[in-house]
Amino acid sequence: MNNNWRLSLARAAVFVVILGIVLLPIYWMVAASFKSNPEITQDATLYPHVWTLDNYIRLFSEKEFANYLTNSLVATVVSVVLALIVGSLGAYAIARFHLKYRLERKIGLSLLTLRIVPPVVILIPVYLLMLSLKLLDTWLGLIITYTAFNITFCVWMMESFFREIPVDLEEAAMVDGDSRFNAFRRIALPLAAPGLAATAIFAVIVTFNEFLFALALTATPKAMTMPRGTATLIGRIDTDWASMSAAGVIGAAPIVIFALLVQRHLVRGLTMGAVK
Amino acid sequence: MRRERLQGAGLDLALPYLLLAPAVLIVLAVLVYPLWDGLRASLMFYRYGKPIDFVGLDNYIQLWTDDQFLNSLWVTVRFVFFSVAIETILGLALALFCLREFYGIRLLRTILIIPMVITPVVVAIVFRLIYASDAGMLTAFSEAMGGGQVQILGDPLKAFIGLVALDVWEWTPLMFLILLAGLQSLPQEPFEAARVDGAGPWRTFVDHTLPMLKPVLAIAIVLRTIDCFGTFDQVFVLTRGGPGEATRLVSIFGYDTAFKFQQTGYASALFVTVGLIILAFALFAVRMLKRAGPE
Repeated sequence: MNNNWRLSLARAAVFVVILGIVLLPIYWMVAASFKSNPEITQDATLYPHVWTLDNYIRLFSEKEFANYLTNSLVATVVSVVLALIVGSLGAYAIARFHLKYRLERKIGLSLLTLRIVPPVVILIPVYLLMLSLKLLDTWLGLIITYTAFNITFCVWMMESFFREIPVDLEEAAMVDGDSRFNAFRRIALPLAAPGLAATAIFAVIVTFNEFLFALALTATPKAMTMPRGTATLIGRIDTDWASMSAAGVIGAAPIVIFALLVQRHLVRGLTMGAVK
Repeated sequence: MRRERLQGAGLDLALPYLLLAPAVLIVLAVLVYPLWDGLRASLMFYRYGKPIDFVGLDNYIQLWTDDQFLNSLWVTVRFVFFSVAIETILGLALALFCLREFYGIRLLRTILIIPMVITPVVVAIVFRLIYASDAGMLTAFSEAMGGGQVQILGDPLKAFIGLVALDVWEWTPLMFLILLAGLQSLPQEPFEAARVDGAGPWRTFVDHTLPMLKPVLAIAIVLRTIDCFGTFDQVFVLTRGGPGEATRLVSIFGYDTAFKFQQTGYASALFVTVGLIILAFALFAVRMLKRAGPE
């Protein structure tokens, strides 16, 4: 009994320590974003003694953060939707059909290999490609790039979801007169909806957060995404801690809120993808 | 009637190819063609971003005598080793700790999602605000306890440790989630048998938990290692590779070579080399996993 009680206490202690390590750094940034610069550097207060929204107002009035947000949303939503459509079709073919020379397996493996190679490896040629297509600093250039990356991910994820659906259901639909494609559309796709959600959520987070290609492919607020704009601002202001904090909060808030809203799917998708 | 069926069969035969075509074409155009193009660029000498001359494998040979490249590779290997090792140990300890349901575990899981999903650029901002010598959290704590300013990013070793700490903060939760799922999927019988035999928690862990968890553990480590090798965003914003070359990872060096110094061919050779190193590691890991798999 006594031992049990001690164990609970140890648990609680570890629990509090973990919460502190995760949350304190974030708290520090959020708190700083509501302080003025003198309060941050001279007083080093633990919480804002004089609250101010100036840092945030400046980001939107002087620093084009509204543009960054729009660009990010457009690039993310369009590329994820496109990749989900194209990727699901491809994943279904890989999961269900046997082609000549085991072609479907080879394509699946190639996509997985491309997924494994860190994106930085093809940064230069993608940049040169967009340069020659005159797509630097445009939405289209970003969307094309992100769609391709997301396709490799979507095919890989969706294939495993389609494999979990018993093939009998589609066969029954075809016996009842559905075409092969309609069996996919009416039976397999709805059953894979949770998988689609998990895939979409993951793709949204990764795409919204992407920085490297945004750094190379965009140069003006016309196309800069949120992480790109934030990093540029940081580079210019260096020790304007108040603006930097506000930029960090605005830069991360959309995706953190999104992730917390859909966390059930997130944890499921994450562990499934890795443990499988 | 018969012709209709035949047409149906014809279309059905083509269907898988039609389904695969868009994905394959887009990936070929946007990812595979650039890979090929990068390979070609790596054989050229560039000046001011323009190809001048075909130089064969010169760029690749030059890489292995380039102290800056070798140093960045060494920094990267150290960074990956320390980050992944610490993340694995902490993640495993945390997963074992959380294996038995207890009050507050749901909150803990929710909180642990945050570091993984926050934009990496913002993670770097968070850590700049921790390390800053004038306004940083460490300095504030130190001053509150009567100490002086804390200098992190100006010192090579401390900056490196600071970068590892950032990575550990950001990615231990992922290790934790994967390993927790792995632990929860283990069969219960061996543990009950061990308890009947009177084995202590440490023996049980070494004899049963660890061997059974090995496949999941290996996959988690491999995934994290590959991902860690390509780290860029956090370093770009936190230290830009400095001070000196202390945190200049191979990705940062390659980026600077390409975009700051416009040595496109040399940078391409660098990235092809890095890609091959990672691919070799991945293949090696897959082979080891397959061999270890059926026990």
